[in-house]
Amino acid sequence: MPSAVKESRGDRWFLLFNYMYLLFALVIVLYPLVYIISASISDPRYVSSGEMWLLPKGITFEGYARVFENSKIWTGYKNTIIYALVGTAVNLLVTMPAAYALSRKDFVGRGFFMGMFLVTMFFGGGLVPSYLLVKDLGMVNSMWALILPGAASIWNIIVARTFFQSTIPRELQEAAHIDGCTNLRLFMKIVLPLSLPIIAVMALFYGVGHWNSYFSAMIYLNEEAKYPLQMILRQILVLQEMGSEMTGPVSGEVAQALANKADVAALVKYAVIIVSTLPVIAVYPFLQRYFVQGVMIGSVKG
Amino acid sequence: MRGLKRKWAIILTFSMLFSVLAACASSSPSTSEQPEAGSATGSNVNKEGFPIVNEPITLTMMAKDAGMKNWNEMPVIQEMEKLTGIKFDFRNAPLDSFDTKKNLVFASGDYPDVFYAAELTQDEEVRYGGQGVLVPLEDLIDEYAPNIKKILDENPEIRKSITTPDGHIYSLPRIDLSAVWYRGPMWYNGEFLKALNMDKIPETTEELYTYLKRVKEEDPNGNGQADEIPFSSVKLDDVRMFMLGWWGIYGEVIYADKNHKVNYTPMQEGYKGYLTFLNRLWNDGLMDKETFSQTDDQKKSKGKNNQLAIFSDFHPYFTLGGDPNPEDEMMKPLKSEIADSPVYGKHPGLSRGAFAITNSNKAPEATMRWIDYLYSYEGAVLFDLGPEGMLWKYTDKDNRVKETVPVEGDREEFRATLTPNYGIVTPGIVNNDVQKGLKTDYDEFLIKENEEKLLPYAKVPYPLVYLTAEETEEISKLRSDLDTYVKQMEAKFVIGQEPLTNWDAYVEQIKKMGGERIEEIYQAAYDRWNQNQ
Repeated sequence: MPSAVKESRGDRWFLLFNYMYLLFALVIVLYPLVYIISASISDPRYVSSGEMWLLPKGITFEGYARVFENSKIWTGYKNTIIYALVGTAVNLLVTMPAAYALSRKDFVGRGFFMGMFLVTMFFGGGLVPSYLLVKDLGMVNSMWALILPGAASIWNIIVARTFFQSTIPRELQEAAHIDGCTNLRLFMKIVLPLSLPIIAVMALFYGVGHWNSYFSAMIYLNEEAKYPLQMILRQILVLQEMGSEMTGPVSGEVAQALANKADVAALVKYAVIIVSTLPVIAVYPFLQRYFVQGVMIGSVKG
Repeated sequence: MRGLKRKWAIILTFSMLFSVLAACASSSPSTSEQPEAGSATGSNVNKEGFPIVNEPITLTMMAKDAGMKNWNEMPVIQEMEKLTGIKFDFRNAPLDSFDTKKNLVFASGDYPDVFYAAELTQDEEVRYGGQGVLVPLEDLIDEYAPNIKKILDENPEIRKSITTPDGHIYSLPRIDLSAVWYRGPMWYNGEFLKALNMDKIPETTEELYTYLKRVKEEDPNGNGQADEIPFSSVKLDDVRMFMLGWWGIYGEVIYADKNHKVNYTPMQEGYKGYLTFLNRLWNDGLMDKETFSQTDDQKKSKGKNNQLAIFSDFHPYFTLGGDPNPEDEMMKPLKSEIADSPVYGKHPGLSRGAFAITNSNKAPEATMRWIDYLYSYEGAVLFDLGPEGMLWKYTDKDNRVKETVPVEGDREEFRATLTPNYGIVTPGIVNNDVQKGLKTDYDEFLIKENEEKLLPYAKVPYPLVYLTAEETEEISKLRSDLDTYVKQMEAKFVIGQEPLTNWDAYVEQIKKMGGERIEEIYQAAYDRWNQNQ
């Protein structure tokens, strides 16, 4: 873009370094992505020997073929989508009203509730008590064990509360009240439609969180048919390491089984990584405009 | 500001108080829930014959799961249920997260009725057995498990090895008295042997050295490049035990020699010989420079590229690719400058902690009869091979001779959908008759190789003993520092960063860190074990 003022020597140096720096950053971010894509369609032999380092070598789609015929991966996929959708819906259902209520200056006990919320950020029950609680609530081996215990993230509530505080002016609330609007209606009809950016951001935060989580699934689920995708992925990836790290006496049969699994894992692992991250990458551009908007709101309006 | 602070303090105090109260409240019901050890269902159990129970019962089982198929849908499990009347609800966990889940289950008090293929450690048996979580099995064995009782009576050393210091048996093992390999042995690349006209494989470390030197210089893979890597390993973990045998050492950490003296391996003279030899291979370029950085995966890809001459794996074709073939010979343990070499540390023949019953089990008698079936010939056939007609059928039932039934696709993968006994260490006994008629040529080759090359030098490095809780604690404290130190020094000695002239200083340092104390503790446990004869 031609600029009105001629650039000084210093400016040009600055520009040069700027581009070099950006190029460097681009390479660092892009390389792993390209590597994984290339690895997913290369012969695993070249990948593990390090001969394939950027462009695919010995192109084969065997990995993808294996992924597409593996019913476990698809069951996991289906489960993850269900958990992510239901989970995110529950998260928003809890987070939005809580954040809005806490943002209102006329909310009685606001400080007290905020304080109680904050305590949970610093003190947790720990693994075993949490497990016992979930068990006694009868949620072990059900999807609710993955969704309800983490339904409200205090961190996200604080972010959303700050958004409400800074973008929904008190005057708006007063004007609505003068026209006879109830609090519930105010929240549903006025505040929520004005808060699409924060809803999108929260949905993304929570959604990605659900998509990537495996730990609660590992702890609470007992049935493979209920495992989310990440759990399946983890099984494939971790198993490959286990064969070589076994200590103590080993039986031939176990070694055989692990070796078989390792072979399959070498073939499919990069394909699985791509298949499992694709949806998140695909959704991101559509939500990104809300991010931009969210940043602008505070800065331009002034 | 100060008011705010005070408010905070009050909130914090209350929330902590609540959490303390909550913890107290939740602990009381779980203790009162424990069922009485004696069982009311005793009358439901038949002491002999099948079904085991008159009224069907359902128990929960926690098992390590290779994830090949839902266990409820496996023909073996369904057959067992039909036969015994005992149904299981599975609370399985995959191989990679089983240990996490097992710890959680023990810590939370939410026990399954039985553990299957749980690989309980000796520490877990001693601790949870002592706390009464695991049920003592010896009386149940006498009453309800004729097969197990027979095995234990015939093999007193097995009974000795599974009896904890308090005199009780808390878990049942997998027994495989024909097992030889502690871990995969080392192999030659058969193609290289042929290319270099080796009609006799090396018998001493010097001969091996000469062979490796030739591999490096004479291009046995015939591609015109000097890309051969005579010897490769993954951080030496895969080869250490096998190679130590060349210098008269049976085990990696601890072993008892022929005079019943327990030794801590890293301070032995033989260990120095092992380091010296590897250092020589390293200096002369006969050892993979990536030994200490590569993964198993990377090593295997070198094998598939036909670059390796000797390596360790369970079967050579895992590393070299292709089909099982007897051309790739097993290495013979080599004679070195140490007298009494070579030796070979052999598999102890049983794996402990494969099966246990917890105190939440309402029908321990019926459970014992169920598991006892797995130690009979019929049970072993069912669980290891699946029901007749799927993978195999009898040609001579009286003599237990079988033949294979052809299946489409991979046999092992098909077997994994029939029976839970795949990829895990399951309770039971390996019976020679089980595989009768089903052995492949490759199986026969392995048996022959074991008999000729390993068994003449083989001894179990250290018996399966139980340490007391205090001993376990002390050992783990000492070893947490020592293991790291030893491993670091091993690498430094091999690559020459630490000259071997510093050996004495190294041994001094180990002694300072408690190497001799480790010997003492294991010696005491070993003597106890020996006295129990």
